[in-house]
Amino acid sequence: MELVTPGIGLIFWMTLSFGLVLVILRKFAWKPILSTIKEREAYIAGSIRESKRIQRELAELDATKEKLLVVARGKAEELIQQAKKEADVVIKNAQKQAREEASKIIENAKNSIFAERKAAEREIRQQIINLTVDMTRRVLQDEFTDVKKNNQYVEKLLGDIQLN
Amino acid sequence: MEEKGKPCKKLFQGNLCKMLTALLVLVLFLLSANVFAESTPSDKKVKKGEFDAGKVIIDHILDAYDWHIADYGDTHISIPLPVILFYEGDRYFFFSHKFHHGKDAYKGFRIAADGPKKGRIIRVLDDGVTPDPDASFIFDFSITKNVFSIFISASLLCWLLINVARSYSHCGPRRAPRGLSSFLEPLILFVRDDIAGSAIPAEKVDRFLPYLLSLFFFIFFNNLMGLVPFFPGGANVTGSISVTLTLSLFTFMTLHLFANKEYWKHIFNTPGVPVWLKFPIPLMPIIELVGVFVKPIVLTLRLFANITAGHMIILGFVSLIFVLGNSGLVMGLAISPLSIIFVIFMNFLELLVAFIQAYVFTFFSAIFFGMAVPDEHH
Repeated sequence: MELVTPGIGLIFWMTLSFGLVLVILRKFAWKPILSTIKEREAYIAGSIRESKRIQRELAELDATKEKLLVVARGKAEELIQQAKKEADVVIKNAQKQAREEASKIIENAKNSIFAERKAAEREIRQQIINLTVDMTRRVLQDEFTDVKKNNQYVEKLLGDIQLN
Repeated sequence: MEEKGKPCKKLFQGNLCKMLTALLVLVLFLLSANVFAESTPSDKKVKKGEFDAGKVIIDHILDAYDWHIADYGDTHISIPLPVILFYEGDRYFFFSHKFHHGKDAYKGFRIAADGPKKGRIIRVLDDGVTPDPDASFIFDFSITKNVFSIFISASLLCWLLINVARSYSHCGPRRAPRGLSSFLEPLILFVRDDIAGSAIPAEKVDRFLPYLLSLFFFIFFNNLMGLVPFFPGGANVTGSISVTLTLSLFTFMTLHLFANKEYWKHIFNTPGVPVWLKFPIPLMPIIELVGVFVKPIVLTLRLFANITAGHMIILGFVSLIFVLGNSGLVMGLAISPLSIIFVIFMNFLELLVAFIQAYVFTFFSAIFFGMAVPDEHH
C-alpha cells in the first residue's frame, strides 16, 4: 500500500526540483542548443540549396557556352566563307588588273618596239642608203669599167637589200 | 555530388541508427556499473537467520530517510539525511541517524516498521513504539533518499546539459557536434523530430519543445541512475509514484496552460457526435472530462509500474541467491551464476526500458499537447 501512496514531501521537492530543472534547462540549455541546431540545419540546407543553384547555373552556363560556341562556329564559318569569297574577288580583280596592266605593258612594249623598229628601219634605210652610196662610190671608183656588169651588180645588190 | 539522392532514403534508417548507437554507448558505459549489481545488494542483505526476500525487495524499492550504502557485520553504513517535519504547528529538523536506522524513536517520531504507513514517519506515544491513535497529519518535507537522489541527478543533468549548450554556443552552427554533444544530439533530434514533431503541429512545436526535452532527459537520466547500484544511483526515483505523479501533473498543467478553444470545444461539444449523446444527458462531455484526468493518471502509473517492476525483478534474481543460500551454502553458490546471468540480462533489458519509458512518457505528453492545440479549422 505504501508503494502506491504519494508522499507530500516527495511531491513538494520533486515539483521544486523539476520546476527548477525546467526553468534552468529552458534558459541555459535548450535555447542555445536548439537555436544552434536550427541555425546549423538552416546553414546546411542553405549550402545545399546554394550548391544546387550553382550546379544549375553551371549547367546553364555550359548550355550557354555550347550555344555560343555553335553560334561562334557558325559565324566563323560564315566569316571564312565570306573572306574566301572576298579573297576570290580580290584575286580575280588583281588578276584582271594584272592582266590589264600586263596587256597595257605589252601594248606599250609593242608600240615602243614598233617605234623602235620604225626608227631602226629608218636608220637602217639611212645606213643602207649611205652604204649604197658608199658602195656605189667604191664600185664606181674601182670597177667602173664594166658598166653593164656593174649596173647589174648594183641592181642585184639593191634587189637584195630591198628583199631584206 | 555522390550523396545526391541518398539523404532522403537514409532519413529513417538514420534515426533508427542514431537510437541504436545511443543505446549501445549507454550499455557499454553502464556495463561496468552493472557488474557490481551482484555484489552490492549482497552486502545489504546478508542477515542472520531468515531471509525475507519480499521485505528486502520492498525496502529497496521504497523511499528511505537515510541512504544505506553497506552493512559491515552489524554496522550499518549509511548517509544520514535531514528530516523536516511540520506537526501541529511545530517545526522539527534533525538528521535521520537519530532514528538509528528505524530502531529508535526521536522527539515522539518514529519510522513505521509495518502497517499501512510502513517506512514513513509516524507519531508514537511516549513508550516510543505504539503509534499515536490521535495523531494528526504529519507534513513530512524530509530530504529522503529519493529527494536527495533527485537533487543529485537534477544538478548533474543541468551541469551536463549546460556544458553541452556551452559547447554548442562556443563552436557555433558551422561545426559538427563533438564529444558529449555528438552523443546527445541524436537524442535531442529524436525528441524534436520523432516525438514532438510527429505529434504536434509543426508551427506549435517550439513552445513545447523545451518542456518535452527536459522531461525526456530527466526521466531517462533518472531511469539510468536507478540502475546504477551504488551511491549516487540506486534510488528508485522514477519508480516512485510521487515522482511520476508530479511529472504527469507538470504535463497536465502545461497542457491546460497552452490548450486552445478547439480543445475545450472537443471536450464539451465534441464535433461529429450525435446530439443525443450530449443532450439532455451530457454523456460525451462526461467521458471526455474523465479522459482529461485519466491521461495523467495513466502516465503516472505506466512509468511507476514499469520502473518498479524492473527493479523488483532484478532484486528478485539477486534475492534468489540468498533464499537458496539460506537452505545451504552449496545451493546458494550453485544458483549464483544463473542468477548473475539473469541479473545481467535484466539490466540490459532495463537499459532498454529506461529509454523506452522516457520515450513513451514524453511521446504521450507530446500527443496530449498535440490534442490541446489542434488547428482551428476543424
